Amino acid sequence: MNVPTEAYVALSAVLFAIGAMGVLVRRSAIMVFLSVELMLNAANLAIVAYARHWAGFDALAGLTGQTVVFIVLAVAAAEVAVGLAILIAIFRDRASTDVDGLAEVRL
Amino acid sequence: MATFVVLAVVMVVGALGVVLLKQPIHAALSLVGTLLALAITYVTLEATFLAAVQVIVYAGAIMVLFLFVLMLLNVQDAGPRRSLPGLRWAAYAAAVVTATAIAVVAFWDGRPAPDPAVVSLHLQGGSAGGIGDALFGELLLAFHLVGVLLLTGVVGAVALVQRRAESAHGAPKGGGLGAGRDASGTKAHALGSGGRR
Repeated sequence: MNVPTEAYVALSAVLFAIGAMGVLVRRSAIMVFLSVELMLNAANLAIVAYARHWAGFDALAGLTGQTVVFIVLAVAAAEVAVGLAILIAIFRDRASTDVDGLAEVRL
Repeated sequence: MATFVVLAVVMVVGALGVVLLKQPIHAALSLVGTLLALAITYVTLEATFLAAVQVIVYAGAIMVLFLFVLMLLNVQDAGPRRSLPGLRWAAYAAAVVTATAIAVVAFWDGRPAPDPAVVSLHLQGGSAGGIGDALFGELLLAFHLVGVLLLTGVVGAVALVQRRAESAHGAPKGGGLGAGRDASGTKAHALGSGGRR
């Protein structure tokens, strides 16, 4: 009945791997960005699972873990705002968001 | 356990949809499904406040922003990269198998799970009160830094999408009015470049 923490962490690892695959396979920058969101959520799932695990020993540790996820959500929101703004600026310049065509962005 | 299995299947199928679906809109909606299933998973992990925030902020605000930009830019994912035909599927299979193997080997030890009664007592269902105590206690510095980060993000986003030449002359004073004007300018410009193409 009580699902072990390892099961949640395994699910998190699978989701993270799928997101990493998306980053590697997709060509459009916005689809790469969606895959990054997937990876972020996989990491959040692992944090919440570990927070529940540690709550069995220390109440403050469990709640602190959940609060860290809350902060990660805020950081993700800021990241999405800036990232989509960059995408719009790139699209305005090139009429495309193909990551293969952005070779001049690198140092 | 049955709830977890159902949620896990929904989330993995949704995640695969994000990676595999051709249409960007379909992929984004697939991610919405994954995020909603993740919110339900948070409830099973006794994080009810996080589940609510996940639905409101992630599946709501962030994904609406994504869909808005997708429809604004009219992004089309071009065909696959030039590579061996079976290579992509081999990469998919290898990634999933590797992740599962890592998870099982690294995290599956014999220690018993914590007592559910103690966990429920300590977490209080992940209520907003407990989250607030941790947020304004142990993580107060992180809270302040996130505030600065959000302000920086808003300023950065507006600075990135505003048009340089025209708006420098008659820069509006009101923040709300300026943001609205910038958004409409962006839309017109993006549509214009789409038409040129």
